[in-house]
Amino acid sequence: MSRKASDVLVDPLVNNNPIALQILGICSALAVTSKMETSLVMSLAVIAVTACSNLAVSAIRNFIPSSIRIIVQMVVIASLVIVVDQILKAYLFDISKQLSVFVGLIITNCIVMGRAEGFAMKNGAGLSFFDGIGNGLGYGLVLMFVAFFRELFGNGTLFGIEIFQLDRNGGWYNPNNLMLLPPSAFFLIGLMIWLIRVWKPEQIEEA
Amino acid sequence: MKALRDVLDKVHPWFAKGGPLEVAYPMYEALDTFLYTPGEVAEGSTHLRDGIDLKRMMITVVMALVPITLFGMWNVGYQANTAIAAMEDAGQRYTLDWHYTIHQAIGFTNDASNPADNFVLGLIHFLPIYIVCMFVGGHVELVFSVLRGHEINEGFLVTGLLFPLTLPPTIPLWQVAVGIAFGVIVAKEVFGGTGRNFLNVALTSRAFLYFAYAGQISGDKVWTAVDGYSGATALGKMAGAGPAPEGATESAWVYSMVDVADAGNAEAISASLNSTLMNSFLGVIPGSIGETSTLLCMLGAGILIATGIGSWRIMAGVVGGVIGTTLLLNAVGSETNPMFEVPFWWHLAIGGLSFGLVYMATDPVSASMTDKGKWYYGILIGFMTVLIRVVNPAFPEGIMLAVLFGNVFAPLIDYFVVQANVRRRVARYATT
Amino acid sequence: MQQRDSLFNTLLVATVLCVVCSLAVSGAAVALRPRQEANEKLDQQKNILDATGLAIGEYGVQASMLDMDQITELNGWISEKLVDLETGQYLEASADELGKYDMLEAASGSDTSVSIDNRTYNIGEPSRPKIMKVFFVEEPGSNRISQVVLPVFGKGLWGTLYGYLAVRSDLNTIQGLTFYQHKETPGLGGEVDNPSWKAQWEGVKLFDESGAPAAMVAKGPAPTGDQYAVDGLSGATITSRGVTNLLRYWASDDAYGPYLDTLSNELASSTEGAN
Repeated sequence: MSRKASDVLVDPLVNNNPIALQILGICSALAVTSKMETSLVMSLAVIAVTACSNLAVSAIRNFIPSSIRIIVQMVVIASLVIVVDQILKAYLFDISKQLSVFVGLIITNCIVMGRAEGFAMKNGAGLSFFDGIGNGLGYGLVLMFVAFFRELFGNGTLFGIEIFQLDRNGGWYNPNNLMLLPPSAFFLIGLMIWLIRVWKPEQIEEA
Repeated sequence: MKALRDVLDKVHPWFAKGGPLEVAYPMYEALDTFLYTPGEVAEGSTHLRDGIDLKRMMITVVMALVPITLFGMWNVGYQANTAIAAMEDAGQRYTLDWHYTIHQAIGFTNDASNPADNFVLGLIHFLPIYIVCMFVGGHVELVFSVLRGHEINEGFLVTGLLFPLTLPPTIPLWQVAVGIAFGVIVAKEVFGGTGRNFLNVALTSRAFLYFAYAGQISGDKVWTAVDGYSGATALGKMAGAGPAPEGATESAWVYSMVDVADAGNAEAISASLNSTLMNSFLGVIPGSIGETSTLLCMLGAGILIATGIGSWRIMAGVVGGVIGTTLLLNAVGSETNPMFEVPFWWHLAIGGLSFGLVYMATDPVSASMTDKGKWYYGILIGFMTVLIRVVNPAFPEGIMLAVLFGNVFAPLIDYFVVQANVRRRVARYATT
Repeated sequence: MQQRDSLFNTLLVATVLCVVCSLAVSGAAVALRPRQEANEKLDQQKNILDATGLAIGEYGVQASMLDMDQITELNGWISEKLVDLETGQYLEASADELGKYDMLEAASGSDTSVSIDNRTYNIGEPSRPKIMKVFFVEEPGSNRISQVVLPVFGKGLWGTLYGYLAVRSDLNTIQGLTFYQHKETPGLGGEVDNPSWKAQWEGVKLFDESGAPAAMVAKGPAPTGDQYAVDGLSGATITSRGVTNLLRYWASDDAYGPYLDTLSNELASSTEGAN
């Protein structure tokens, strides 16, 4: 393998972003992005799970029988997600309450599984770990982008700090309720993909 | 006219390829073809079936919209003036905004019995909305045409008139601008411009506003152009109907439509109900600017069908779908939801159904193309409209979402119709 | 490679993996359990402090902004009891039973709940618990109850709203109403969480002069001078109606009515005793 750790770390940010190019992990990107705070915690959780599951799967890849490899990856990922969920419930209770089932649903996030099967099974532990972090960051970047617009235009705040004062609280800004609804994340992700592909036309798929 | 032609010809080299103003060619082209017949003619072997082109089609739709627009303006003024009179009688406070300043400055008072007074007041409300919509939407379209080197075409004329007609007269102008910009970009330009959108642009803009500023636009309050006056649209009232009064003989929704004072008196209820139904049919009720009058929508439908631009199959499909679904729901009934018992003639008369089915559902770009597909498409829209109105507690009106839903399914419907046709012909070929 | 795919090896890997993963998961669960339970308890306490307005009153901030010491201190003012709603009497309960009481469980159990049949104030729920846990606020040194906090719930537009209603010691003036769990549309019905909307409840009267439940969410802005109404939530007719119904239902004789009578006698006698 000629790829370097810095490549696998940086590549998924824009060039090979799991959401923008591969269109994976959309579900949670819609569900948790109405606030920056929850998006940040969710991103961190996904980074932790992807990195650790890549590390674990890569470390035992030479022992995994191919007939049960998907189940093995699944078990590793599920365990990690449960541990992360427990930790959030113990130390970040308010946010974990808002994230509700979506932390648990990281198990079904295609990014985690995709990296375990697609990368960690073929590469060394160290490299896989960085690949996990890179993909988690790529996912987190999109989440933060979407959450920035949703929270700012939907609620007039960023990280809960008031930027635009809402009209119902005596200010001037009339919030855009669509931004608070999950479909707005679809529009934002779509527009973001549009922007990225104007910037990097090589990402445009052949029709 | 010769002079104008000369001027245009003279400046043509500036805009032609290689000229200094090359990027602005779409603007030049738009002006030229607006004033004169385009210079290009078809080349090669063409089959001319009809003299109709995009431009004439769009103009016909605009013509079909004229009666409704004129009536809508009168109605906006009439509703506002009536509300003012009612509030004065009741001694309630109300404030009059800048619309009324202009209205009074040109010498009108608020007299609901004077048609000119009503009409001018409506015009003062409608024109700013229309101008903002054309200005913003037109410029968005212009920017994309220039960037992509397309021609600007007339499609926007219709969208730009349809969209204001679906809005309440009280809408803030900045919302008009945000809405139309969203609609033109997301529903049309993203997919490649006029003729390539799979959603109706005016309705997408309206749906955006509906979800973004639902507190002001969802139809459960204040659509009369007087600050301080509160009243719901007919559908909003029905959807919000509480339980029927004690010892009631009629269904609960009836009481939401009639004067509370008359409740219990069967004759008064039926008279009051008939007059509301008649008003809804004529369109003398509060609502969005262009959608109140079912009668004039029928007139518009006549124009569109006679000129062959609007599909009668779609319109008939929607009406059939509405009647069928309503009868079904009437039969099913519900103890907790009075909307189940609303008869179909009410559904057809109130809300934006007639406007949506005549002008929105028949949009040739986003509707089904095949004749059989048009039936299915229309029925689907009618079915969804009633379902949303009756069963969904959050949305009083259903036609907007139903048409968008139908738009999404139109290509699929066409696909199946075409496939069925292919299969039938293959089978026929095999036997002979 | 043949070795790796053998049946034995497959079973071995599966077994080892299961053991390791289950150890990790159960280890985390057991180690973090006490902290999580403390968090849940704390969450409930914060909600009650918000409903009673104690956090705002004492420290000027929402309860979520308080630190542990402040919460513990304020929480010392609050006591809890179980009430049988039908009779309106208290039930003797040990601290352990109090801690174990779970409203949701009680509301769904067949022998711990009664079905709701109230056409006037329809809260859209099939049943309610027979027994509810209520809370009291007793300011230190005063030795008398200043507020009672009643848990309430009822359907809004998309789901059930769960909340606390804090009533002052005259048992008629509302001190506060908060919802700690709901599924209403963000920005519309979801505005039940908006502090400036919630602040309107302070001082609203729960019952009218004839003693019937009268507190309500108005349609549109509340008429000025109306002591029973707060402003409607714009664009959320059904949520507003849901809140009205649930308030009136829980205040009616079908729910807390009998208990409020008991409590009012109790408060009257304790005041006399103090004199």
